[in-house]
Amino acid sequence: MLAGWTTVGDMIMIEQMPIFGGYTGGVEETAICDVATTLGSFACFAGNFHLDGPIHIRWGVTTAKETLQVAAYAAAAIDQNTDLLLANQYYPMAGPCTEMCLLETAAQAIVDTASGRELLSGSAAAKGVVQDKTTGMEARIMGDASVATCGMKIEDVNEILNKLVPSYEANFTNAPAGKTFQECYDVKTVKPTQEYLDVYDKAVQSLRDFGLDIKH
Amino acid sequence: MVARRYIDVFETYDRFAEGRRIPEKDWDYVIVPENAKMMKERYDLHFGSNIIPDDPDLIDRLFLAGVDMLLSTGIYNSDLGMVLDLDEDELYEGLKMAPKKLKLGRGKDRVTCKARRGNTLRKPIIQGGPTGAPVSEGIFTSMIQSYAQEPTVDTIVSGVLNTVDGHPATTNTPWEIRATHAEIRYVREATRKAGRPGMCI
Repeated sequence: MLAGWTTVGDMIMIEQMPIFGGYTGGVEETAICDVATTLGSFACFAGNFHLDGPIHIRWGVTTAKETLQVAAYAAAAIDQNTDLLLANQYYPMAGPCTEMCLLETAAQAIVDTASGRELLSGSAAAKGVVQDKTTGMEARIMGDASVATCGMKIEDVNEILNKLVPSYEANFTNAPAGKTFQECYDVKTVKPTQEYLDVYDKAVQSLRDFGLDIKH
Repeated sequence: MVARRYIDVFETYDRFAEGRRIPEKDWDYVIVPENAKMMKERYDLHFGSNIIPDDPDLIDRLFLAGVDMLLSTGIYNSDLGMVLDLDEDELYEGLKMAPKKLKLGRGKDRVTCKARRGNTLRKPIIQGGPTGAPVSEGIFTSMIQSYAQEPTVDTIVSGVLNTVDGHPATTNTPWEIRATHAEIRYVREATRKAGRPGMCI
């Protein structure tokens, strides 16, 4: 298939999700393999941009501290040495219409933006495995958090993350399942429910309390 | 040694076919873990507690470790059970072939994905969507519209239809093809309903 797509001039995105805690071991080893495989995707498979997604072997999410760290270090290393186009994808633990889901998504958007990535792709709430448990509101927080992060000093970003990430990681063992799209939106008008808008407001206030100057 | 040229996907296939034969369990359980550990020690990599790195020297050492890992270990093709090797010049020639920017979408909805270089003021491209999560046929268009109508969203990533015309979209059956075509139709319809028909999907 790749031979056909490259021959006709299609845009090629290569996706790869390194597993933290798997064959590659700890954060440093996983980041080394992440850099290696990202470079290989461009050098051998004609990639035009690369979609990453470091995933936690215990939790099955991309929003744990270790997987955020792997993504940040790998992106920064490639960003500092090349002009390759780098993306990352989102698999939070909690489901839609929960503050935890929005905070997880915001944390990864902050990390991806600050570490120099070019494209943020998401978000597959509830680990992307439950039918109809994804909505546009999670993409809204991804975009709003990214815009708020652009241009910030890394030191200040880390200070926010050091408070934000532990605030939701403590709930990984009993994360809220959240609601389906049908419960979060009027399916005909495609407008989010007041309940979800209130949850969004609460998440934004929490992000402000952590130090992110987020507007919406 | 100067590379003759970058490796294209055809040469990549040949390199795999003529490469080193290695059992998958050796690759997974021995070669990758041992080489990654060796690179960590060789390049003295210790991340510490901060999530985002701010030490340029450490960041460079990680890049060199990744390059070393790729060149010394190769890439494994699990279908063939073979390893492809490439040299440093071939790697960098390949990286030169990669685009520094991409135009995504059509007309007024077109956006440019361009190398950012650190945490610049320019925001990344925001690609909204279920990212491969399963979605019911009856709400597929509305769900995708919920992403397309968000002002910060630039492009769409689709979800996966569980059924098409009520029939399970089973992998490796003709229904999978029909479901894929339906997904594309639904996503296009959703971007039109959001008033952004040229969005990249």
